[in-house]
Amino acid sequence: MDPPEVSRDLCRKAGYTFTFLSDPNAEVIRRYDLLHVGGGTDGHDIARPAEFLVDSARVVRWVNFTEDFRVRARGDEMLVAAKSLR
Amino acid sequence: MPDMIQSRWNWALWLGFLLALGALLCNAVFFVNPPGQRAIPWLSVLLAGVSLILLVRGLQRAFGQPRVYRGKILSSILALVSLLLVGVAIFSFFQARAIPASAGAPKVGQRAPDFTLADTNGQSVSMAQLFAPGADDSQVVPPKEVLLIFYRGYW
Repeated sequence: MDPPEVSRDLCRKAGYTFTFLSDPNAEVIRRYDLLHVGGGTDGHDIARPAEFLVDSARVVRWVNFTEDFRVRARGDEMLVAAKSLR
Repeated sequence: MPDMIQSRWNWALWLGFLLALGALLCNAVFFVNPPGQRAIPWLSVLLAGVSLILLVRGLQRAFGQPRVYRGKILSSILALVSLLLVGVAIFSFFQARAIPASAGAPKVGQRAPDFTLADTNGQSVSMAQLFAPGADDSQVVPPKEVLLIFYRGYW
């Protein structure tokens, strides 16, 4: 949801080197049915947390929809999911 | 006549306060994304529940036997503060679970919708570009998979 400039600050502070995309109009978030209406701290719409592992045929091979937005997929869980596809 | 009543420490109240604090501090644990974190929301609720029982017991003691468990005012303040902590912990639990079902989200075996979005430099990036050779660290072979992570904004 954040504009690219805000995400750039976040990436710099957190040291992220992966591709970090912005969806300020929640266009793709809606396409993936992940919009959390009024879920932001100041009441604006945000994305619910979700993780998708997509193969080169664009087919979803693994997903994680948390029941509690505080609980996210861990890096090692996502690596295990990716390795199990090989 | 000297006061023969031995004053006792109202441990139930203090333990109730500590557990209430623990229930709330569970929220901080998620930021480090630890293993077994799925149990932490439930741990928080458990701590909050036990805390409430102990607070009731502590207040009963403070008001039922005020000469043994001294400090009616202190116990009331402590119970009130603890109740507030428990309230915030329980509220966080329900708020964190109030997320959309996302019934229309792509499932395993389904095609992931295409997209084109701006990266942090404002450059448009499409799904196809993420699968292009050199899109990852290998710089030679195209990535076999792409991981899409949607998050709530800043966290």
